[in-house]
Amino acid sequence: MRKTVFWWVERGLLLLISTIVLFPIAWMFLTAFKRPRDAYSLSLDFSPTLSNFVTVFSDPWNLGDMVLNSVIVASVTVLIAVPCAALAAYSFSRFRVRGRKFLFFLILSTQFIPAVVIVLPFFLMFRSLGLLDTRLALIVVNLAIVTPFVIWMIKGFIDAIPTDSEEAAMIDGASRLRVIKDIVLPMAAPGILTSSIFCFILTWNEFLFALILTRRDAVTLPVGLVSFRTERGDLWELMSAAGVMITVPIFIMALLIQKHFTRGMTAGAVK
Amino acid sequence: MQDRSLSYLLLVPAFLIVLATTLYPLAYSLVTAFREWDLTKQRRPGDFVGVDNFGYAFSEPGFQNSLWVTSVFVITSVILTLVIAMSLALLLRRKGRMHTFTRVILILPFAISPALIGVSYRFMFNPEFGVIAKGLGAVFPALDGVPWLASPDLAMAILVLTDVWHWAPYMTFMCLGGLASVPRETEEAARIDGASNLRIIFGIVLPQMKGVLLVVAVLKTIFALKMFDQVVTLTGGGPGTSTETLAFFIFNVGFKWYDMGYASALAWILTAIMMLISVWYVRMLLSERKMATA
Repeated sequence: MRKTVFWWVERGLLLLISTIVLFPIAWMFLTAFKRPRDAYSLSLDFSPTLSNFVTVFSDPWNLGDMVLNSVIVASVTVLIAVPCAALAAYSFSRFRVRGRKFLFFLILSTQFIPAVVIVLPFFLMFRSLGLLDTRLALIVVNLAIVTPFVIWMIKGFIDAIPTDSEEAAMIDGASRLRVIKDIVLPMAAPGILTSSIFCFILTWNEFLFALILTRRDAVTLPVGLVSFRTERGDLWELMSAAGVMITVPIFIMALLIQKHFTRGMTAGAVK
Repeated sequence: MQDRSLSYLLLVPAFLIVLATTLYPLAYSLVTAFREWDLTKQRRPGDFVGVDNFGYAFSEPGFQNSLWVTSVFVITSVILTLVIAMSLALLLRRKGRMHTFTRVILILPFAISPALIGVSYRFMFNPEFGVIAKGLGAVFPALDGVPWLASPDLAMAILVLTDVWHWAPYMTFMCLGGLASVPRETEEAARIDGASNLRIIFGIVLPQMKGVLLVVAVLKTIFALKMFDQVVTLTGGGPGTSTETLAFFIFNVGFKWYDMGYASALAWILTAIMMLISVWYVRMLLSERKMATA
């Protein structure tokens, strides 16, 4: 290929975009390995240290507790939301239920309700039930945001599976439940896995609910970040170390399902 | 089991979750919106006060300010996201190793916690030791020492920047999905006839992307209306009240002043705005699909 001006402009733009995307992430990772005094200089010449990670995991920060909270809240939310959503998605995809359009519309439109609206009444209810600052409270509230979203996503994946083999199996006398278990679920598995990871990421990064509903015991990682803002100022090197802890598991997941990721993101909306 | 009853049975668990976690709290907050309930004074909900809480909103400067801030934020971030996402999609739809690499790393911003994005931009724009603030100062001496987050307009600009950085890549993927379904024949014919790249993009490609761009615009509007995390971690609503979006203002009313009645009324005003947009959105999707199948 002849290297025209356009070719160089295009490469230049791609490089620029990659830099804009990667730079803030790279800077955070670098800062996480700097000593406090290096964190406030812009020099790239520093001797990397793991001491920030040691600090954040020990008293008084105890990031380990927050990691545990985040893992439990996100996993349990996924384990409840995804199976329920998968069943509903199958029903929406395959049956002509009366009022189906209305139900689907209802569930979809809940996705557009701002989280701050949901959290007010939940705060009042959990307060009177004595459930503030518990993981249970966070799981319940996260289900509100995640469930409609996952129904939408999994429905997109099930819609894309041809119905032929299901019909053939039923003509052979298999029951509908058997068809779901033996044919649909295995075929929809990649889609369900993708949706689960999406759901995990949403819950893992969730900030507003955790900020309002937790104080000490059930604090999750994103809210933990705020605690590095102290009277002595912002402790950037510790914040960055915590940021790395939040980011790495999510990056690994996102890159693992990279191909499905982009498809899953767009499945619901563009179809 | 009959398909009919099974079809409903499958919906039951998900519907119960939505009922308990969304519809019930919504109803609860709607009732609260018509009550007086100052949590610092009374443990139990107070008297019904009719539409007083709603009326109060429209005479109160804090709410009016937040409406203005939200409008500025939503309009700039939607337009910028749309333009950048569409341009990136046009650039990235071609094949090539660098294109593929860029597509892969574009996944990352969306996967990062928005709260963390706010924190790291706050770090990078710190006038004393922030890498972007210092870098800009070195390249353009006039910008050295600019108090980025302490200036109302600049703080808003950085808030928009973090939001665009977070969402433009996601929206790029939606635009790429749309581009993939645009037939290439007309484009190729025009190219053979000697049409310029710009003419092909504006005359042929973009008109066919109208539907997708509309969806992207509406979705982004909804996400921008909800945006909250970066306000807390980047600007804290400041300086002053210059970045107090509606969502952040509701949070303050509810959890700093503990005025539950007023906060609920405000929350319902925001919900009403979002509902109008989402009804319009679902309608638009349904009519698009009808056109596609016709």
